[in-house]
Amino acid sequence: MDSSEGPAQRPVTLDIDGGIETPEASVLPQNDPTEASYQEESIDLDAENFASPPDDSIHSESLMDKLNDQMMESVMISDSPNSEEEDAVAVDSLLGQNDDEEASKTPEGDAEERNEDDSTEHEETSEGLLEEEEQEKIIQADDDKRETTPQQDPNLETPESQDASIEINTVSSPREDPVPVCTIFSQAAQAKTQALVPDGFQPTLVKSPSFTTGSTETPNKLIPQVCQPSPSLSKFFTDNGTVNPASDFFDSFTTSTSFISVSNPNAESLNPPESPQEAVPTSTYFTPVASKPQASPVEASAPMNKLQAVFSSGDDPFASALINSELDKRYDAWLPSDDTRKVLISVATQQISPGQIPKEQLAMPGLKFDNLQGDAVKDLMQRFLGEQAAMKRQVLSANSVEQNFLGLKRLISTKNWRAAVDLTGRLLTAHGQGYGKSGQHTTHTTDSLQLWFVRLSLLMKLSLFQNAELELEPFGDLDHPNLYYEYYPAVYPGRRGSMVPFSMRLLHAELPQYLQKPQETLDRLHRIKSVCQKILSNLQEGLAEDGSMVNLTQENRLASLELWRSRLSRLMYSMANCLLMMKDYVLAVETYRSIIEFEPEQKVQLLSGIGRIFLQIGDIRTAEKYFEDVEKACQSKGKTATEETSVLMNRAFVYLSQNNYADAHTCFSSVLRLDPKNPVANNNAAVCLLYLGRLKESLGQLESLVHKDPALYLHESVLFNLTTMYELESSRSTQKKQALLEAAACREGDSFNIQCLKLV
Amino acid sequence: MQVKGPATAADKMDVNQAKQEHLLALKVMRLTKPTLFTNMPVTCEDRDLPGDLFLRLMKDDPSTVKGAETLILGEMLTLPQNFGNIFLGETFSSYISVHNDSSQVVKDILVKADLQTSSQRLNLSASNSAVSELKPECCIDDVIHHEVKEIGTHILVCAVSYTTQTGEKLYFRKFFKFQVLKPLDVKTKFYNAETDEVFLEAQIQNITTSPMFMEKVSLEPSMIYNVTELNNVASGDESGESTFGKMSYLQPLDTRQYLYCLKPKPEFAEKAGVIKGVTVIGKLDIVWKTNLGERGRLQTSQLQRMAPGYGDVRLSLEFIPDTVDLEEPFDITCKITNCSERTMDLLLEMCNTRSVHWCGVSGRQLGKLSPSASLSIPLKLLASVQGLQSISGLRLTDTFLKRTYEYDDIAQVCVVCPYTSPEC
Repeated sequence: MDSSEGPAQRPVTLDIDGGIETPEASVLPQNDPTEASYQEESIDLDAENFASPPDDSIHSESLMDKLNDQMMESVMISDSPNSEEEDAVAVDSLLGQNDDEEASKTPEGDAEERNEDDSTEHEETSEGLLEEEEQEKIIQADDDKRETTPQQDPNLETPESQDASIEINTVSSPREDPVPVCTIFSQAAQAKTQALVPDGFQPTLVKSPSFTTGSTETPNKLIPQVCQPSPSLSKFFTDNGTVNPASDFFDSFTTSTSFISVSNPNAESLNPPESPQEAVPTSTYFTPVASKPQASPVEASAPMNKLQAVFSSGDDPFASALINSELDKRYDAWLPSDDTRKVLISVATQQISPGQIPKEQLAMPGLKFDNLQGDAVKDLMQRFLGEQAAMKRQVLSANSVEQNFLGLKRLISTKNWRAAVDLTGRLLTAHGQGYGKSGQHTTHTTDSLQLWFVRLSLLMKLSLFQNAELELEPFGDLDHPNLYYEYYPAVYPGRRGSMVPFSMRLLHAELPQYLQKPQETLDRLHRIKSVCQKILSNLQEGLAEDGSMVNLTQENRLASLELWRSRLSRLMYSMANCLLMMKDYVLAVETYRSIIEFEPEQKVQLLSGIGRIFLQIGDIRTAEKYFEDVEKACQSKGKTATEETSVLMNRAFVYLSQNNYADAHTCFSSVLRLDPKNPVANNNAAVCLLYLGRLKESLGQLESLVHKDPALYLHESVLFNLTTMYELESSRSTQKKQALLEAAACREGDSFNIQCLKLV
Repeated sequence: MQVKGPATAADKMDVNQAKQEHLLALKVMRLTKPTLFTNMPVTCEDRDLPGDLFLRLMKDDPSTVKGAETLILGEMLTLPQNFGNIFLGETFSSYISVHNDSSQVVKDILVKADLQTSSQRLNLSASNSAVSELKPECCIDDVIHHEVKEIGTHILVCAVSYTTQTGEKLYFRKFFKFQVLKPLDVKTKFYNAETDEVFLEAQIQNITTSPMFMEKVSLEPSMIYNVTELNNVASGDESGESTFGKMSYLQPLDTRQYLYCLKPKPEFAEKAGVIKGVTVIGKLDIVWKTNLGERGRLQTSQLQRMAPGYGDVRLSLEFIPDTVDLEEPFDITCKITNCSERTMDLLLEMCNTRSVHWCGVSGRQLGKLSPSASLSIPLKLLASVQGLQSISGLRLTDTFLKRTYEYDDIAQVCVVCPYTSPEC
């Protein structure tokens, strides 16, 4: 019998023609190791085939099956099906595809045209070839780009400067902000600074306060009467002359009775010394709790209680100091690693002076690069609009603002993040952590770490991930003993916990994912998560955050639970976001779902977001299920405009995924009837118009939006769409883009991402 | 995920040649699905130095999700940023725009878009009629769609002809070349069951660079077979959960196995007697979706299977008990089919093994058996050893050719002792 080993043979004739067969065979094995092994397998099988005796011997079926087991044959994929009945769905979903196909069957254009065609054919082909090659390069370049760019994703916050209003807000709002004045520089110092530009600062000008404070003498004696960084944000309100003696008992307020306030007088005048609901003169933490001074200070010792009884009302600096200490404790709580804990204990018990701790165990950061200064918008204007126009561009620079926190905030809120980074550099230099200072002994303060945090946040916002990584490196895992308050008993007597703000830990964890190390990000996030959970369980067990047996008042405990829960929730967001970037959709969706428990008020947004994830994958059915859940959630919430907007948006996205751009456009338009200023709906409606072949309308719509309401529409994504359409529309796209550049130039700060204008 | 590379004009498949100043400009842009903009949330707490600044910046950013600003996946759509990849079975869509850059009215404009593949040339324009006039700063727009059915180089050829105000006829063409890649790697494997059933295992690998949602992977059987899909946990139930879990998507380079059971339709099973040689099993129909519903569909070529060779004579079992009692005779029915092209005269011998003993006469004549004919013979056996026992020792001899066919390990039975269970 001649057919015994039939299945091992590959089908000889396939629906696909030979020309296609070969590339497949040659390309695939490189792509994938498993493929190769499969092929090997089948080769083995063939060999076996040849070796096996001829058909005379009778093979039992089981042997057959064994042979079959090894075999896996590669199947050629034929042309995609185009039998009409089967394609009904396809035709439906592809607009007018049927028409196209019909059209293709109609004979070519008129004879005259064809002649012309023929006559130019030769010339055209050679030209065409040139173009082709170029085209190919472009495609390849694109591929490369696609692979290398993900980390550059600069989804910067966008632009709208509300300079004046923001400033006023900062100043007048009685929030819990650290008040935006820093005492690092006196006016004189500032003047000097400007004189020294570009070098900026003499690092010797300012000394770190506690570098020499290893001993346990009282701070008063220790602190020299020089201009120095304040150990705490909370100090600048302190009126030197009138420091309340009571506050001496408390950490951050106390260290600087000898401190000379060198706040920018302007800044101070801008700050209302007292807000209506805040009567505490010395406190700078305008927290809601602070307005309820009755909150019993647990740690207060007996004499303090007496004192407190004297100052019964809200303007009791003592009580507010206590409250602040409660707040500090809550916010600063952290669980150091065992090694760090040991060091901190030995410092606290004076077994070891901080000077004796080996260098490697300490965080010794320093700036790693010089100023970023520069304004890409201005450079671009110089190039395209000429020197004259570029002169008109006015942005704040690090020099043009107060050299303190207030100036820093101004730079941030006006979106001059590059200048803001420069300013943090100056302030850190003044603190002795300037360029080249990495690896040298230094003292950390609340302020210095806040400065680092702001600096690193801005670097991240500017997508300068490498720079951020470099500067974060000396901080290690943010667990060095000198990053804890306990390390500085003289400067921060009694204060416990981490100087590193929680947000900085998050930043530190989130950074690696933008540098192609998402696993590192997840590891770090999980470490933070375990600490958060430990702190929460400590609180639930009636202990203090750090697990000590300190009694917390119910009020403080609840506040602390709330704080740590919100931190955990923020952390989960980071995890989910990272998983989404890793395209681990299963875990990402699971994590986003778990956030709903923490943030029930974000249920609609989260469910919609999960639905969009499914649309991104292409799983429209599951997406629709989530969108149904959104609708249910909205119904239970009652119909408000925002809920209705979400429902309509989701519906639009589903239509979009079904290639139904017309209905998608209708949905986005109905959102606009509810909320005419909705920038997302406006932009998306315009995008739909383009897919409907209505380029001019789409352009007109976006263009008018950008000019009418630049605050909302001078956004990277909108501008990107607009410039893309300019390029498609006419050969004069460059002029139109330049007009956009001008529009951006008069509104946007130095952090504006010029790439979205596609001018270079 | 949104990827923002340095923005270039590369997404336009636009290569301008300026040999002759044309009044019209032709621009082409591939319309892949738009993407959702992703944010990069940077937050701080109230007590941190920036206070609520970061939060306010995020709230003011139009691309964030209001109320959940830390969610990176926003709602803002952005247009495709580069040509991207195109795969067999996907639909190539493209925007073709012809713009009048000049200051004069142009007449009789005809725009043609053809797609040249290695084997054919297709016209993709929606309309083949000329536009009578185009005013300055106006456009002729066309969105073309084409389901890509070939691998390899494709060239989009756009031709524009028009007449100027002076009556001059002008004509230009542009070429846009792109490669169509293979999206999936499909491998198949057949398993033959004892019965006539055939199991097909299909391994489908995503060889693109993006995740792929497998919307449908079905086997369209040839007319000989009925097919049962074995890819749901609760078979038969429509809503049965997929064996692949809740999320039915394939990451790049992931492979997934699909299993199908094929049964010959009764009429064929009877008629053919035995299915031999190369048979057509059917083809796999695969539909997938990627970003925002970008759809692709492929079918494999007809899957062919070489029916297992049964040699000249096939012995199969029609009836056999699964459990038998020790030392108690039991019956089996064998079916003997002549798979050869000639008539056979068969002699049946039965050789006892250590554990099973044949009851009856060995060496009996079965008579003549013509090609494709079969006969059933009942046989009696006795098991002498407990446990799972293999039935072996049947010998068929074709007396014409003096050839002997051995059948061992035909089937297995479980032999139990009826006396040892006291409860019964």
